[in-house]
Amino acid sequence: MSNGNGNGSDTPQYDVVIVGAGVSGNLIAKQLGLAGKKVLILEAGPAVPDSREQYMENFYLALAKTPESPYPSLAGRIGPGVGTLPNPSEIPTPRATVLSIGAPPDVSHLIQSETAGVSGTTPDNQPEVRQLQFSSTYDRIGGGTAWHWLGSVPRLVPHDLTMKTTYGVFYDWPIEYSEMQTLWGLAESEIGVAASVTQQVPLQAAIGMVYPPGYEYPMGPIPSSVVDQTVSNGVSGMSVPGEGSEGGKEYSVFVTNTPAGRNSEPYQDRRVCAGNTNCIPICPIQAKWDPTVTLGDALNTGNVTVSYQSVAVNIAVDGNNVTQVDYLKWSYDDKGNLQSTPASVTGKIYVSACHAIENAKLLLLSNDQKGIANKSDQVGRNLMDHVLYLAWALAPSQVWGYRGPLATGGIESLRDGEFRTNRAAFRMEIGNEGWNFACGDPYTTTLDFVTGSNGSQLNSGPTRLGGTALVNTLNDRLTRQFRFGLLLEQAPQADNRVTIDQNNTDGLKIPRPHVDYGFDKYTLEGFRVAAETCSAIFQQMGAQEFTQPTVNPYPKDKYPDGKTMGPGDFNYEKKMYHMYGAGHIMGTHRMGTDPCTSVVDATQKSHDVQNLWIVGSGSFPTVATANPTLTIMALAFKSAEAIKAALGA
Amino acid sequence: MTTTPSTGGPSDSVLQDFADMSAALTGFQSSFLRPFLDPTNLSEVFYNFAVAQVGQTAMDNLLAAFRSRKSQTPPLTAQQIADSLLEVTTPTGKESNQAQLAQAVILMWYLGSWYTPAYQTANKQPGQVLQVISSQAYTKSLVWNVAQAHPMGFSAFTFGYWSQPPAGLATFGVNTGGGQ
Ligand SMILES: Cc1cc2nc3c(=O)[nH]c(=O)nc-3n(C[C@H](O)[C@H](O)[C@H](O)COP(=O)(O)OP(=O)(O)OC[C@H]3O[C@@H](n4cnc5c(N)ncnc54)[C@H](O)[C@@H]3O)c2cc1C
Ligand code: SF4
Repeated sequence: MSNGNGNGSDTPQYDVVIVGAGVSGNLIAKQLGLAGKKVLILEAGPAVPDSREQYMENFYLALAKTPESPYPSLAGRIGPGVGTLPNPSEIPTPRATVLSIGAPPDVSHLIQSETAGVSGTTPDNQPEVRQLQFSSTYDRIGGGTAWHWLGSVPRLVPHDLTMKTTYGVFYDWPIEYSEMQTLWGLAESEIGVAASVTQQVPLQAAIGMVYPPGYEYPMGPIPSSVVDQTVSNGVSGMSVPGEGSEGGKEYSVFVTNTPAGRNSEPYQDRRVCAGNTNCIPICPIQAKWDPTVTLGDALNTGNVTVSYQSVAVNIAVDGNNVTQVDYLKWSYDDKGNLQSTPASVTGKIYVSACHAIENAKLLLLSNDQKGIANKSDQVGRNLMDHVLYLAWALAPSQVWGYRGPLATGGIESLRDGEFRTNRAAFRMEIGNEGWNFACGDPYTTTLDFVTGSNGSQLNSGPTRLGGTALVNTLNDRLTRQFRFGLLLEQAPQADNRVTIDQNNTDGLKIPRPHVDYGFDKYTLEGFRVAAETCSAIFQQMGAQEFTQPTVNPYPKDKYPDGKTMGPGDFNYEKKMYHMYGAGHIMGTHRMGTDPCTSVVDATQKSHDVQNLWIVGSGSFPTVATANPTLTIMALAFKSAEAIKAALGA
Repeated sequence: MTTTPSTGGPSDSVLQDFADMSAALTGFQSSFLRPFLDPTNLSEVFYNFAVAQVGQTAMDNLLAAFRSRKSQTPPLTAQQIADSLLEVTTPTGKESNQAQLAQAVILMWYLGSWYTPAYQTANKQPGQVLQVISSQAYTKSLVWNVAQAHPMGFSAFTFGYWSQPPAGLATFGVNTGGGQ
């Protein structure tokens, strides 16, 4: 690697230059390295540490144990002695964090609305909510966001790839299901997915989930939690009616074990899951696959190099070809001042693997901020999430949450049906962490019964307790808590969009992402049905529901009944909802066959620029309801093959 | 063995009283909070932390109140001692500063963090957290035992345990005897 000799030299320094050492970048690097190609990865963040001890210590000491809390940049570590939330304009690799959702630009890396959602109607008189916060987060450290992924890896179902053909909405994927099955198989082997095809069989009749004959997952399933078992028994025989034209149809409701990226047996020299209940934010023992595993393999090929603390700022293009990538190499000097040096590097082929929002940002920043690979004008558009609806309840008997992986099962049987003509489908994840996500428990309920507050809604008396009375009361409440997290299929919308914000830069003076975001009727209707379905299931189980729009840290508006509305809250049909991010950021450089309406082709190669691949969930034309990383990896395998072919393997 | 206090630190008997009082307040066994072999020595860590926050006098007074209740005849149960120190029948918000300190002691043990007693905060509201006292304070925090679980991110259990109900509460260090 050298400073600025990119343009002048005829021989590229590398076969392939990859920007971003996350899930996608590392997997493509590994595949190319195995094929003997010389690869450089530019990674914006700090290096992968030799041991995860420091990250664990950060986590233990963090007051708010958010997904980002173990990782550098101080985010999530609030309170005296552990620093405050960093100002994104002062640090080299700011990122979207849970604690900064809805905060102003001196806290939030993403520049976006700071208010509750605004309900209105579109010009053609359809309901919509705008000015919502995009609430999914990502990390910018060696290894990327999936340091703190949960590890749920369900596959898409066949209709997920054919929404246009089957339901007349959105787009079809430019890839056949049978090809995806092969690619998912490769991804499942890379991760070491624990699951059983036999357990998934009931999903064939319900939602068309099919596996190739004889396929088996790499290892047996992760056992279902007592929570899963209780929900499963509770919904036994239950069904929900079809809607509209589907009158008379019944959708059966049942629990399925979730395929998991964590070990049920030793795999790739990694241990068996011990149920630390901490997959988000960090698995203490690396029983959960994360991208540093694949990065290690890539480095072991001897053909892959990583340059850390190297933030790509420009993909230089001449005509239809990338000529070099310009980046800033940063460090802190002895006095703690941030320093950076410009550099550039050349390759035959370039891969942008910075994740959906940063990919869009980099493409839009390139070519003196005129943008590249964007003849379709789709770069940055169609930003999507699996918007998360959270519902929580006390079970009639003890279910003993706070144990085992954060999720081991879900209700998958409602992920497909003709209703998708009109509204978003969802998969229902069953949580094994009590009301930790729902209301910050066990902290909130403990505080309530000790000090007489009622943040949990469980101490309406209110009482103050100590001794055995405290033990017994808390034991009863905490061991009956459980929740559903519903991952909703969000509609692609051109106005849900990432642009670059000239007025707000980071510590390297790079403009930050500006996000416009909201829900159309399709997504809103999904929310309505999501809430109704959760309530119906709780009722069927005899569970007592406590779902609330949350108390927000940055309240801005008052709701008519006196409740405070803040970021993430919105009204739809006179009901107030709160939305969370699922951590699934998708759709900013969608794939398709038509260069006029899509950014990349089925191999994730840019339609416009010959030697540029843009990879990750930004390529998804529609998002359906399966957690994205398995499919990100499947597509990365496909890209790696295409790149090898282009290099003349 | 518990460590000998450095000069000026609390004596062994003060620490034992602090552990006994903590046991009554938390509903756990004193020998669980301050075992004979105690590498983490949390009782001393917590005692010192609380004293640094509220002052020696406030802590001395709370311990004195505990000792006097403990030596009462007829003897009070651990629950009665806790209820009395916490003034559980007093309307919330009207309890004394001393009762608020007793709450903070419970919260240290249960949550591993220091919650500033309401009387010391600007707006006189409870529940304001200052910091996680130490990583061991987190990994040993008791609320997880109450839930028959383990601190998130710190488990000594083995693969698959979550598919079965847990062992009874008694195995998690709580006081099941009703007395001391
Ligand atoms: C809380 C949470 C839970 C999740 N759980 C699941 C789950 O259960 N199942 C699932 O399928 N998915 C899950 N996800 C999503 C998953 O983490 C992402 O899909 C995945 O990490 C995306 O991979 P990526 O390689 O595209 O991006 P990333 O992992 O974000 O990697 C991108 C890399 O690019 C680097 N980079 C960014 N900008 C630049 C630049 N300008 N120059 C150089 N480098 C740059 C970053 O530092 C980073 O290392 C979860 C996400 C979150 C937040
Ligand atoms: S449950 Fe624990 S051990 Fe298992 S994968 Fe998650 S964090 Fe790792």
